[in-house]
Amino acid sequence: MALFAYRCRNCGLFTFPLPCLCRSCGGREFEAVPLSSRCRLITWTRLFALPSGYKKPWRSFGIAEFENGLRVTGVLDCKNPMVGMELHAVRGIVRTHPDARSETGFIFQAENGPGLLP
Amino acid sequence: MRSVGICGIGHTKFGEYPGSFLTMLCQAALEAMDDAGTSGGPHHVIDQILVSTMGAGILNHQSGVASAVADALALCPAMAETVENGPASGGSALKLGYMAIASGLCDCVLVVGGDQMTRVPGPVATDFVATMLHPEAEYRLGLTLPAFVGMFTRLLMDKNGITPRDLALLAVKNHANAMLNPLAQLHKPVALSDLMDKTETRRRDRIIADPLRLYDACPISDGAAAAVLCAMDRTQALGLRTPVRIAGIASATDTHVVANRADPTRLDAVRISAQHAYQMAGLHPADVDVAELHDAFLILELAESEEAGLFPRGTSHLALRRGETAIGGRLPINPSGGLKAKGHPLGATGISQVVELVHQLRGEAGERQVPGARTGLAINFGGFGNNVVSTLVTTRKEDA
Ligand SMILES: [Zn+2]
Repeated sequence: MALFAYRCRNCGLFTFPLPCLCRSCGGREFEAVPLSSRCRLITWTRLFALPSGYKKPWRSFGIAEFENGLRVTGVLDCKNPMVGMELHAVRGIVRTHPDARSETGFIFQAENGPGLLP
Repeated sequence: MRSVGICGIGHTKFGEYPGSFLTMLCQAALEAMDDAGTSGGPHHVIDQILVSTMGAGILNHQSGVASAVADALALCPAMAETVENGPASGGSALKLGYMAIASGLCDCVLVVGGDQMTRVPGPVATDFVATMLHPEAEYRLGLTLPAFVGMFTRLLMDKNGITPRDLALLAVKNHANAMLNPLAQLHKPVALSDLMDKTETRRRDRIIADPLRLYDACPISDGAAAAVLCAMDRTQALGLRTPVRIAGIASATDTHVVANRADPTRLDAVRISAQHAYQMAGLHPADVDVAELHDAFLILELAESEEAGLFPRGTSHLALRRGETAIGGRLPINPSGGLKAKGHPLGATGISQVVELVHQLRGEAGERQVPGARTGLAINFGGFGNNVVSTLVTTRKEDA
């Protein structure tokens, strides 16, 4: 799955998800643009109290910043997360529901490969 | 605008409520009506009912709750609406009640809020609370409120030098305060040594969203709280009790998508709503004698106290260490026990905070009384800080 974000056609602000209106310039037209995978970890947590529908004991999440300034929240797949570390993002299945429906989203992995996504 | 005061307050014991959702709301409402001196019945003086709840639809499978309350309390044909603004629903209902009276539309408004969260399994309650996150960018991924608080806590601890011991000090303080509040959910003192012990207790105090532990978070609660609001210049004519004045009330929003915030350690909606409330009241942070802050997670008590100007940035944990925020300290915070130990039935919380402040300002808070308290601040925090209501109540004269 290709990595993408949205860009305001008026001022160039990168954003995700698709907004109704650009918070920077008020523009209303956006285009989907490919996103380079390099990003940096802003903060993270390992969540043990998962919402209903999970059979896993825990899952890590983080907020990462891309080189174009875009920040997004995603699943963190990395053994020893550290604030500020370089990561690369992929788009993949982030959650599978009990009825087999699945959700896609950002997954952040360490440069030296994925960790231990449960 | 007309001045608005609080004439009556009511509050159920937080924890597990044995009766129905409607019974719980009506119990708090009747207590507030009796306290205000309007006992209801055919000659009642209530023009408007506002019911705050976040979970009525999802947890109780009930809609149109305000209509049910109007009928159950025999207040028809009073106007009635339900208010949903996440965990800030209670503060919002108070604000809307204030607006209704200040505008001249109403003289007297009954505000009652509550939720019943203990009857569903923990993961279902967690999922219900998470529905206030952004559906596409956050909720879908399995993110929860504690996940965002965990990510926030990591950054703020690192930035300001807040230690796990500081969070434990907050738990000790708020649990101790709740021991003095008969309506609090947790009547269980905790010792600093228990929370800092790395062995047995630590295993019970498990990590829920690293670095957040179980004792850093509030319990799951049932409960209701209520207040009768009245135009200050109409209380005598309506035969109501001497009111505590709402000097300032304001709310502010922030980005729904948490990742879009320029500084992930700032809570702009707290800062802006508090500033607007101070401006409206003609008061300053230094005028606050007691505060009830939204410590659904303990770190928020520190962060909100700084955003609201009660302490300079990066210093609230130092004031905590010096005991300044304990009852008897310079600026007691959460004498009720806070959400942490009093409990957090979402729709009740914003009203419950103001109920505590009214007790304090009336000088009727018993063992947890803040001596000489004249002005109180409540911060009711919705979403992960995306919708916040700040309320200032005071016994100071209007021109003072
Ligand atoms: Zn733009």
